[in-house]
Order: sequence, then C-alpha cells, then structure tokens
Amino acid sequence: MIPCAVVGVGQTHHKSRRRDVSFGGLVREAVFRALDDARMTMADIDAVVLGKAPDLFEGVMKPELYLSDALGAVGKPMFRVHTAGSVGGTTGLVAASHVRAGKHRTVLAVAFEKQSEGNAQFALGSGRGASLGAGGSFAPFVRAYIHRSGAPEHIGWTVAVKDRLNALKNPYAHLRIEDISIEKVRDSPMMWDPIRYLESCPSSDGACAVVITDEEGARAAAADNRPPAWILGMSSRSEAGGFPGRDPVRPRACLQCADDVYQEAGITNPREQIDVAELYVPFSWHEPIWLEAHALADEGEGWQLVDKGDTEIGGRLPINPSGGVLSTNPIGASGLLRFAEAANQVRGGAGEHQVDGAKVALGMAYGAQSQYFSMWIVANSLQPFH
Amino acid sequence: MTRFVESTITFPYKRSLGPVTGAFMTALADKRILGVRSGSGVLVPPMEWDPVSGAELAAELVEVGPAGTVEAWTWVPEPTEAHPLDRPFAFAFIRLDGASVPLLHAVDTGSPAAVRAGMRVAPRWRGRRVGHITDIACFVPGEDAQVDGPDAGAPGQPVELMDYTAAVTYSTPVPEMADRAVAATRERRLVGLRCPTCERVYVGGDRPYCPVDALELGPDAEVDLPTTGTLTNFIVVEPVRYPGQTETEPFARVFVLLDDTEVVLTYQPVIDLPVHDIHVGVRVTAVWAPADAPVDTFSGIGRPMGSLLGWTPSGEPDAHDPDLVNRIY
Repeated sequence: MIPCAVVGVGQTHHKSRRRDVSFGGLVREAVFRALDDARMTMADIDAVVLGKAPDLFEGVMKPELYLSDALGAVGKPMFRVHTAGSVGGTTGLVAASHVRAGKHRTVLAVAFEKQSEGNAQFALGSGRGASLGAGGSFAPFVRAYIHRSGAPEHIGWTVAVKDRLNALKNPYAHLRIEDISIEKVRDSPMMWDPIRYLESCPSSDGACAVVITDEEGARAAAADNRPPAWILGMSSRSEAGGFPGRDPVRPRACLQCADDVYQEAGITNPREQIDVAELYVPFSWHEPIWLEAHALADEGEGWQLVDKGDTEIGGRLPINPSGGVLSTNPIGASGLLRFAEAANQVRGGAGEHQVDGAKVALGMAYGAQSQYFSMWIVANSLQPFH
Repeated sequence: MTRFVESTITFPYKRSLGPVTGAFMTALADKRILGVRSGSGVLVPPMEWDPVSGAELAAELVEVGPAGTVEAWTWVPEPTEAHPLDRPFAFAFIRLDGASVPLLHAVDTGSPAAVRAGMRVAPRWRGRRVGHITDIACFVPGEDAQVDGPDAGAPGQPVELMDYTAAVTYSTPVPEMADRAVAATRERRLVGLRCPTCERVYVGGDRPYCPVDALELGPDAEVDLPTTGTLTNFIVVEPVRYPGQTETEPFARVFVLLDDTEVVLTYQPVIDLPVHDIHVGVRVTAVWAPADAPVDTFSGIGRPMGSLLGWTPSGEPDAHDPDLVNRIY
C-alpha cells in the first residue's frame, strides 16, 4: 500500500444561495483553491472523483459527466460516488484509494451541493408529500439517546452554541450568528420534537475540494514547507436501514467503521491519541451520540464531555472547530468538509479555528438512516505515535 | 406476472446561470447570439472555461450569426411534448457565422427532403422572449432572421436564473408478497414474513427478504400478527412548504411494538391522537378502512398499508418499560 497524503484543500464561501455562480463556477471555486494550496494546476491531476447528494436534490442527472470539463477531467478517469449524506467523506476515501493502490499518483476529490436550486425536504421525501426530512428521521434516535443516557436537555443547546461560536472563527462558514446563546437556542421553535430550529443544520450552497498525492509528492510538499496531512487510516461501512433489533443510536456499522479506522491508523486509545475530530453533526445531539459510537466516550457519557466543555476549542478533545455541519451544510460537500478540516488541523493550516498542537485528527461522515459511515484518520507524520 | 405501479414526480428546479451563460441568455432576449473567444476560435454557446483543458476563459464575448450553415442533421418524425416544435423537424448542428463550433438547435423545413448539410439557415425568434434558449423558436432556411408575431422586445433585466421543471415517470415492481400483505388487510389481518434463520419478522412485503441473513421470504414464511401494540417512539413534523407537499399542519408518525412479539411497525400514521398528546407507552389498536372502501395498493414510508389506515389509542393504561423508547426498529 502506497502512503498518501492531503496536500491541497479548498472550499467555497458557503451561503443559503450562491446565485452568483453556475454549478461549474461553484465547484471550480473550491477546486482552484485546493490546486493553489497544493501548488498545482489541473494538468497535474491524474483522476477526478465527484460526490454529491442524490440527483433529486438539484435535478441534474449524471453531474459527473455534466461537470467533467469544468473539473478539467476531459480525457482523465472520472468517478462518481453515491453514499447519501456520507458521500463527501466517501469521495475522499475513493480518491485516496486510487493513490494508495498505485493506480493514479495525484487525485482530486470534489464534492458539492447547490441546495437552493432544489428542495431537500422534497428530495428526502422521494418527491412526495409529508416528507419527514432529515430532522424527522433522526428525532426518534435523539429521543432514545436522551432517555437512555439521562442527558439533560441543555446538552443539545450547548453543542448548538459551541459550533456556532466556532463558525465565527471560520471565514468560509455559512451561519454567522454573532449573538448565539443558550437562551436563543432554547427559545427557538421546536421543529422535530425534541430537535429545535437552532439545534439543526442550515441548507447551504457550497463545494469542497481536496488534492491527494503519493508519498513522493507529499514529501516534496513537506520539503517546500507545506506540511501534508498523511492519511493513516480509512474505512467505510454500511448496514440495512431497518431490521428488528437495529440500534440507530449505536449503529453497528459505525462501531465497526471506527474500530477499523483506528486499527489501520495504529490507534489503540482514541481518547488519548486523537487530538481533534470533525464529526458529522447535523443536529446538535449527534455530537454526544457519535462521541460514544466512536469510543471517544463511554456509552451513556458522551454528553458529560459536552457539559464539561471538553469538546470546545481549547478543551481536551475539540469537536468541529470549523463550526461543523451545524454551521455549514452543502449536503454532498459536508462530509468532504469534515475530512478536509481534519486535514487542515494536522497541517497547522486551520487559521483562527486551529487547535494548538493538533497532530492526529479524525474526519467522519454519515448518511441516510444513520446507515452509511466514512472515516479517515490524518496525521502530521507517518508515525505520529513513535 | 409482476405488477407495476407507475409514479411521476415533478419539481421546479432553478439554475443559476453564472456570468457567461447569463450573458448569453440575456442577449437572446435581445435577439443577439453571443459566443466566447477561446484561443483563435469562438465557442457558441459561450462557456466559462475551456472545454478541453478546463482553463478559465477571459469571458471575451462576441456576437455571432444570426445566420449559419447546417453541418449535420437528423429528422424527428414524431415530436413529443418535450421537443421544441410540435411538428416534424430536424435537429441540426448549425455553425453560426463567426463561430468555430456548431450550435444544436431545431430547423423547421416541413420535410426531410428539404434539409441538407451545407444549407443556410437563420433564427426565427419568439415575439415574447424571456432569456432562454427557446427564445429562438427554431431556425428556418434563408439568410434573414424572423420574429414570430409582434415583437414584445427584451425584458430589459439581466437574466441570472433559469427555471427548469424536471419530471420523471417510473414504474415500480410490486412484489407478490406486498400484494398478499395488502390483501390480508382487507380481511383485517396483519401478516409478516418470518426469517427461518434469525426469526426476525418483516411487515409489508415490499422488501420480501431478510436483510440480516440475505434470504428471500415467500408465502411459506408468512405469519399472522396481532393488531394491538404499544407506541414506542414517534416523530412530530412541523411541515415546510415545497412543491408536492400535502401537509399544512404538524403531523405525526409513530412506531408500534406489536403485542407479544418483537415486531416494530415503523413510521405509522396515527389516528384520533392529537400530536401534543403523543408519548411513549400509549396502547394502540389498528384502524381499518371500511370493507368496501378503495385502498391504495402501493404503500410507502409513512403511508397506510392497504386497509390498515393507522393506529389509535385503545384506551388501556400506558405501558411503562424504560426500554420501549429504544424500539425504533
């Protein structure tokens, strides 16, 4: 297996509506930022991997073909990834797999969504009335978590405030709620009991791009004083959406995916060895839920990390210093943004939301009925634990 | 013979055109056709980037045409509603004067005998133009552009956004076991399919297999199930508006654990239980459609299954079991 690393990261400024750009213009904004970051041009890219939410979201069939020229992929291998909300993460994994396998030296991963050109509730409801939406789908899972953990209701508000405060440090973030407060979240309308409006992700237009290259390319970048993010572990898992006995609060696919990615990365004690994580948290309660399902907290105790402030920037295990999905949600890109932000943390390139001394980071995305999972572990060296 | 149910979904999508396609569409409303310089050539329609290398183009827009030369064509003998003309016509590659690549558009000649590569054509503009490729109704033989009816002029606003209504019609096969499940509800019976390996029971028959053991489940797997149970969890949705939305008031879907089984029915409609009274532990019983009422034979998430319309409180005292809320599946 060929070691590989992230050497370029780019993203758009995310907004409710990016009416100023076409689909092509939107993805190119992220792509050129990633290429500039990698000191590369489109000619240096050997293959392109594109991820986005299912076609009903914008009504573009085969966007990978429609956008191949915009992405400089004419005459090159071009791939499309489909894994619902986790797709951005899986896009990064597919791109890195080509480099690891030695098939392509440098691969561009691109993910986007232009939610304003369609309607997520329509798409999630398969084009019919009475769509439950993502919040409706996840509300019973959150209710079950609250019951079984005994977590107080302010935990959901706390995560919502923390991620919006983090977003104020991220110039690309969509939501910028300067006066965010516990009271403001608490008093916001109940959307999908027990999930309130301000405990929910926004609907965003945006894109993200990541350049992944082999060991030689990564060492060259390092020698040029541009630290790479070495990809130490990658994993994805899925499970059926529903079967008797399935536990969507601790999906087996998630537990297995986390075990697998830790093992590949050489992580034996994730709580000590991971410095920062970008977890896919579209509704605030998913932060404690995923802390537990990633063995970053004991079962039933994830909410206590939130309560103690451990997951803030400066805390013991910062979660989503970028502001996360709660602040920016161009669905298809949201997973790749987690992976890209994790990479930027270990490259020391996260700017104002940088976690001091971050050496090892987890990026994670999930999708559908909490049934698709994608994760990677990135680090500032190939052997961070020696 | 597998039965199929046909469905159509439609959505009015938007398209942000961006600076270059937006300028092209704005010019069409003004009866002008724009291309973009790319190296020594002119691309029509204009693009934001070089289609081969992906390099950014300088957005140097130039007017081309309006007349041009047919390079290749194909006859469309039976136009559908989606075609630009309602009578037989040619789709043609037309190289407009000044362009280095052809534009695809319709040519109206009446008969295929009247079309040939090399013929000269010019646009027939619509009288009322909005900034869309169909502002050119079609091309017609000759050198001179025409206008259909009175010319309403250009709207005068830059065109930045395009409506794009997409519709897809598709057929879904209905498994025999789903039809059997619906037929049982006519008799006010609820049937499930029990996996012989793990003994899990699946209701609905729309996915007649066990996803855990990857086993197909047929009529011999069918078991009768009770029609009373306990509400384990629920969803209350504050509906948002979108095209095709049927709900205007908060609505609920509930999860029902059937008595003396491990079977949970997911996303069930609830009847005569106000959303603010829904809670874990409510005892419920099935509500059936009147025997002679027509039923939807194609169920889906959150919809009635045949004559099983949903669940209503039975009036019994609540069940109290701290594990109930975890029974979502």
